[in-house]
Amino acid sequence: MVSPVFVASPADTARALARLAWEGTLWTQLLITFKRLVIGLAIGAGVGLILGVLAGLEPRLRSFLEPLRWVGMTMPAIIIIALAMLWFGLGDFTVIFMVAVIVIPTMYVNTVAGVLALDRRLVEMGGVYHFPRRLFLTEIYMPGIASPVMAGLTLSTGIAVRAVVLGEVLGAMDGIGHAFSRAMSYLETPELFAWIVVLLALMAVIEFGVLRPLKRRVMRWRKVAG
Amino acid sequence: MITFEHVSKAFDSLKVLDDLSLHIAADQIVGVVGPSGVGKTTILKLITGIVLPDAGTVRVAEGSVGYVFQEPRLLPWRTALDNVAAPLRAQGLDKKEARSAAARWLERVELDGFERYHPAELSGGMAQRVSIARALAAEPRILLMDEPFSNMDVTLKGSLIAILQGIIKERQTTAVYVTHELTEALQLADRILELTPDHRLRELDLSDRGAVAREWLATTLGGLDV
Repeated sequence: MVSPVFVASPADTARALARLAWEGTLWTQLLITFKRLVIGLAIGAGVGLILGVLAGLEPRLRSFLEPLRWVGMTMPAIIIIALAMLWFGLGDFTVIFMVAVIVIPTMYVNTVAGVLALDRRLVEMGGVYHFPRRLFLTEIYMPGIASPVMAGLTLSTGIAVRAVVLGEVLGAMDGIGHAFSRAMSYLETPELFAWIVVLLALMAVIEFGVLRPLKRRVMRWRKVAG
Repeated sequence: MITFEHVSKAFDSLKVLDDLSLHIAADQIVGVVGPSGVGKTTILKLITGIVLPDAGTVRVAEGSVGYVFQEPRLLPWRTALDNVAAPLRAQGLDKKEARSAAARWLERVELDGFERYHPAELSGGMAQRVSIARALAAEPRILLMDEPFSNMDVTLKGSLIAILQGIIKERQTTAVYVTHELTEALQLADRILELTPDHRLRELDLSDRGAVAREWLATTLGGLDV
């Protein structure tokens, strides 16, 4: 028999979950974490995407960004959060900064790979027909890199969820991560497990409610084409 | 309409064109024939400006250019209709107008009913017809075609050559048509220029097209009396 201090039973976890939901703590903390996650992910994915497209098109920029990419991908998360806390203190900004900084290299690498793998003959076709920049973007580049970008976004979202929790454990006084840390400190094992369930549910909602439908929409031509 | 003066072009150390001069007047259909690798496609790319000469000058009159590539070079994520509409949108037409014009051009290449198909759902010959419709939809002043019938059976090739001939003459388009099949060029072109492996250009005397075809067939079939 495992002690309930180490592992909460499903019944205890469900009761803790119901209590957190009834008191409203669950919704408050979930909203705080969700907001930080979405903002951090949007900034990180946006910056990674834009830099990736530019670096994919311009080898000199790619060479210039390579050391930064390397630093971004090898720097331990704990160092990023420590620096963010030093610079910005505890709170939203630190957690959002942490999520964005961790997401950027993943999106960047996937986007660069997508641009480099793009069929150059289609780009040449666009040049022959004098496609304006907007048409190049919407008809050739964006659909052409959609597959690796979607893969990058899926990876980034998983990384961002982990980053937001770590950021909140160390660098915030609220959010799911902080509530998780608090439950751990007070050995509130059922509550701790309840927060794990909430995190998994959040990830499932993002994965099945947003990412998969988005991927289906963006890549629907592949399905049509078999 | 199109003038080459002492044009030379090499790719790395491979000499493709050497001191080439030619003039193509407006409204002419000019066939350029010759074996693979003598620089036929390079002539077309020099006309579009996507490739620049190493020496000499290329002068091309103002006006839009349509290009039928060796392979269809369609956007795999767009339908046949949207592929044909793309150059029209590049010319500033809104999506609805461009699609409506594109549908008419698909009909002219006998692809009505296939508007919503994606390139991967079409046969090679059908995809090439979409590419021809795309080139014509731009209502180009100059139409460039790079072995456009290589994926087609003889019957389809014959009917498309007739359709193209009609459209080119009706719209008074200047056309440059590259092929290694002299018989195709004889069906379509007003003038035929032959690029030889030693990078010389000679104009064929078309006063007796039958004799030219017989001579070419005899050479192709290894001296057989035709």
